[in-house]
Amino acid sequence: MALDITIDQAGGDTAVVALTGELDASNFTTLIEAGRTLHADGTRRIVLDLAGLSFLASSGLVALHSLIRILRGEAPPDPEEGWGAIHSLEFDVSGGGVQNEVALVAPQAAVERVLERTGLKRLFRVHEDRSAALADA
Amino acid sequence: MIKTVSAAAAEARTIEIEARLERLAEVRAFVRATCTELGAADDCVVDLVQAVDEAMTNITTHGYGGASGPIEVTMGPTVGGVRVQIRDRAPAFDPTSVGEPDLDSTRLRPGGMGIHLIRAATDSMTHEHRPGGGNILTLVRTLGRREEED
Repeated sequence: MALDITIDQAGGDTAVVALTGELDASNFTTLIEAGRTLHADGTRRIVLDLAGLSFLASSGLVALHSLIRILRGEAPPDPEEGWGAIHSLEFDVSGGGVQNEVALVAPQAAVERVLERTGLKRLFRVHEDRSAALADA
Repeated sequence: MIKTVSAAAAEARTIEIEARLERLAEVRAFVRATCTELGAADDCVVDLVQAVDEAMTNITTHGYGGASGPIEVTMGPTVGGVRVQIRDRAPAFDPTSVGEPDLDSTRLRPGGMGIHLIRAATDSMTHEHRPGGGNILTLVRTLGRREEED
C-alpha cells in the first residue's frame, strides 16, 4: 500500500497533515519533503492525523523527528547523505522531550506500539481527534 | 514469486524478491497473509510484519548497499508459533551483535531503532552464515498475545 499525504491549512501557522497507508523506508522522504514545503510557506505547527496510517517503520520515526526539526528551522537530515547520517541523529529529551511543533492524532494500535517501544512517544502530545489537537495549540 | 512448499495447510511458504525498498509493501502483504493462514493473532501479525520489514530494510540499504540482490523469506509453523527465515547473499552481518539503544537516555536516536524493533517484536532472533555466502536470519514469535505486552 502506498502512502497518501493530504494537507489542510488549519488557519494561522498550523497545518493538518493526514497520512493514509503505510510509512516505510521507500516513502519516508516524501513526508520530510512535505514538511520542508510547508515550513517554506510559513507553517510552524503540524497536526499529524495518523488515523489512516496502518504501518510505521523505523524510517518513519526519522521522518517524524525531521518534521520537528524542520518546523524549528533546523536542518533535517539529508537522506542523500546516507543512512550513516540518519543513524547519528539525536533528539535532546533532557527537558522531558514533549514538543509543540508536531502533535499526533488517533494513531492505530500498531503505530502507537512502535512509538512506545522506541521511546519516541514521549516527544508527542497524542490526541483523539483533530479538533482536540487544534484546540491544544 | 510466491511458492507453496507444500500443498497442505499451515506448511512453509516462501517469497523470493529483489532487494528494493519499493518491494517492501509486497513482503509485508505476504507476511500478513501467511500469518493469518497459520492462525496468528492480530498482535503476532503486527509484530512479524514490523520485524520482517525492518530486517528487509536493513538488508536492502546496508547489506546490499542499494545494489540489487536476492532476498528469500520463508515462513512456517513452529511449536506454538511462527518461524520466519530471511536469506540473502549480502556480505556477512550479524544483527544480534548490535547493542540495544538506551531508551532512558536524554538523547534519543530515532535513526537506529530497526534492530531494536525486531527484538521487541519477536521472541528470538538468530543469525547464521549462509553456505556459499550471505546470511540467514531466523525470527520466532509465539502465535498469540505475549505476556509481557499490556
